[in-house]
Amino acid sequence: MQRLLSEEIVNPQQRKRSTLGNVCVVGGCGFLGHHIVRVLLEQFPDTRIFVLDLRTESNRNSSPQVSYHAQDITDTAKISELFQQFKLDVVIHTASPVPTLPKKLLYKVNVEGTKALLQAAQETGVKAFVYTSSASVICDPETGLINADERYPMVLGDAQSEYYTSTKGYAEIAVTEANRKTPGFFTCALRPAGIFGEGDRQNVSALVKAYRERSINFQVGDNQNLFDFTYVGNLAHAHILAATALMATHEMMPTVPLDTEKVDGEAFFITNDEPVYFWDYARASWRECGPVPPPHKVWVLPKGLAYVIATILETILGLFGKQPNLTRQRVNYLAMTRYYNITKAKTRLGYRPIVPLQEGIKRGVAHALAEEEKAAGKKG
Amino acid sequence: MPKARDVVYYLFHVQELRNIIQWKVWHNPVHERDESKETPSLKRCFHYLDMTSRSFSAVIKELNPELLVPVCLFYLILRGLDTIEDDMTIPLAEKEPLLRKFDQILEKDGWTFTGNGPNEKDRDLLVEFNVVVEEFKKVKPAYKDIIRDITKKMGDGMADYANNAEHNVNGVNTVKDYELYCHYVAGLVGEGLTRLFVEGKLANPALLERPELMESMGQFLQQVNIIRDIREDLDDGRRFWPKEIWSKHVDKFEDLFKPENEEKALNCSAEMVLTALRRADECLFYLAGLRDQSVFNFCAIPQAMAIATLELCFRNKTMFQRNIKITKGQACRLMLDSTQNLQVLCGVFKDYARRIHKQNNPRDPNFLEISIACGKIEQFIESIFPSQTPTERVVPADQQAMTPEQKAKAKKEAEEAKWDIIYMGLAVLLVLGTISGFMIFVAWMAGARFDIAFSSLTNKISATLPSPSAAGHNEL
Repeated sequence: MQRLLSEEIVNPQQRKRSTLGNVCVVGGCGFLGHHIVRVLLEQFPDTRIFVLDLRTESNRNSSPQVSYHAQDITDTAKISELFQQFKLDVVIHTASPVPTLPKKLLYKVNVEGTKALLQAAQETGVKAFVYTSSASVICDPETGLINADERYPMVLGDAQSEYYTSTKGYAEIAVTEANRKTPGFFTCALRPAGIFGEGDRQNVSALVKAYRERSINFQVGDNQNLFDFTYVGNLAHAHILAATALMATHEMMPTVPLDTEKVDGEAFFITNDEPVYFWDYARASWRECGPVPPPHKVWVLPKGLAYVIATILETILGLFGKQPNLTRQRVNYLAMTRYYNITKAKTRLGYRPIVPLQEGIKRGVAHALAEEEKAAGKKG
Repeated sequence: MPKARDVVYYLFHVQELRNIIQWKVWHNPVHERDESKETPSLKRCFHYLDMTSRSFSAVIKELNPELLVPVCLFYLILRGLDTIEDDMTIPLAEKEPLLRKFDQILEKDGWTFTGNGPNEKDRDLLVEFNVVVEEFKKVKPAYKDIIRDITKKMGDGMADYANNAEHNVNGVNTVKDYELYCHYVAGLVGEGLTRLFVEGKLANPALLERPELMESMGQFLQQVNIIRDIREDLDDGRRFWPKEIWSKHVDKFEDLFKPENEEKALNCSAEMVLTALRRADECLFYLAGLRDQSVFNFCAIPQAMAIATLELCFRNKTMFQRNIKITKGQACRLMLDSTQNLQVLCGVFKDYARRIHKQNNPRDPNFLEISIACGKIEQFIESIFPSQTPTERVVPADQQAMTPEQKAKAKKEAEEAKWDIIYMGLAVLLVLGTISGFMIFVAWMAGARFDIAFSSLTNKISATLPSPSAAGHNEL
């Protein structure tokens, strides 16, 4: 099972070509972005790649095909100028700030930044625009999602407890609405769920931290809640499939694709297509860090009780202006069912996860442990 | 008479006892065979069906009359074939041609076979096999062709295995070999039955276009039997667990049974369970293609028993020491639930998948894969019987996905709607006030004394309340 991305995928039709043209990866130094650059070069080695990012020091690819440009995406004039200069065919927009930043900034980068990129792309004759949205745009804080698909309505604004998610949703709407607004401009959005892998700063690293803090002996809820995760390499692959599909739509102009095959103007859920019980995912990651307790040694905290404890902790620690590890929001999240039906991505994009969950977890945790060791080495 | 141990067991498992009673009292067969119209040879066939099959005879006898006899004979023919293959006292030179030509034997009037060893449990069936041949002649030609074809394929498969010395000494090698073996002994039965159902117009012909579904039906049942029978098979000198799987956990097959290897043996059996479990969703898919209740029951009961047995075997060390079986009470519950409809059966599958998941151990190398397999079953069930639909989750209009501009507009509309409600409320109050006023006026005109009513009311209230001064004092 230990095959690399490049060896396995790419259907023969794509193989005929060795380039996707001039591609701009916005956020290409980020966690997801740099994987997109890597996979893109594996699948289309002659592609010319321009990476736009706020800072371009980290996650750089050494290929001569890639150039790096430090740029704030909210600067409309500058973006237009760069796009003009790059003569782009494809824009893959995957830049997004950390969800914990102030609301104003989230709105500015996610919504206004995306609109600026769309405008620049339309003005400079870009053919395909792929946006990384989030599967959480249909999540609300109370109800779970059971095998949810793209027919589910978005939950944004006041109904959405996470402001970050709202801004992702507004940006997604802007992207899909821009589709075909100017002739020959095609857009689509991908909605990944639970991205993890080498270099992630949220999912795997949080689990490794939990392992170090010995939080692995606890379980909130009955662990019957299925959850979806996406290995970053698979998601990168999905972005390239989406870009390829939009380029194909461009080529078949003026013929319009059938409704059942349409990619442009659409949103797609992307997961590893292996829904798994939430705590099993955590334990599968923990056992890559070291020994894990057997099931009978795990303290199971029923959801209701955990909720009460979280309320008390939040109130007491709140008096001192602190936040406990166990919050009500967390309790809800840990015991919630959230998994998706990705048939649309499978049929229209031809997407299949290339790296299975197990292999992805292995790679992600191994990478996080290596980073940890490096950091310890520096200190010592 | 029930055994004393059983009595004690059911005293403490009243729910299971209730299941047994419910099944005995309330189960009505969809069809019942009509013995009065049966020839003596057919009666003998049913006699042998009862004798040779514990689990299948009841469901076969309730089948739709169209397929009752063909399926019964199909079963007896395969049982006859199996009885020859199983018997180690028959020399290979004699055995092989019998197996390969069994499809022709079906046409030989009065054919019987007395060459089985005295201990072969179903030898009587072959001694009186002429009754099967006699009845087979009367079956519709289309059904006969199907039965003959499967008999030929299975006979050849069995002959190949009988010839394969490697297999006889070392058992099954790879997972592929294991699945091929299961294909010969069970997958083919699935194919034959499906063709019979479709020919009899009792199943969707599309089932024939998805052969992997009927294959999974047979594989699932056979694999579960192989997992459960590990101890019995070992004692009989047979091994069906593929080396490719057990060699990952222990060096020698016999090591699985040593107490010091308990954890390894459990992990090995979990991997066997996982291999079978991955077939479960296709089994449910297959069952969705059946059109006749009796056929559904016939197929669903064994499948329900299989998933329950799988759960019983999962991480259960006793199966390496002795034969294990689901209890009669559990079996009755499963039969009740698998003779209704697909949705109820899906509930059974989901329930057992969750029970398996609950016992899953993170120290097991296949921990995540097992979890995913259980999740897949749940997801598949959701895809055919969704418990949540997008429309159920429609968000109120003012909270739907909106850009801030749209939101401002919506807010304005909401504001207007709010005033509408206020006006409406005022209007209602006005109407109610007018009517009440009018009624009071009429009452007053008729001589009602509101002043007395009011003062008696205030007296009553002040009597029930403590005096304000005392209360004020206490507070100080």
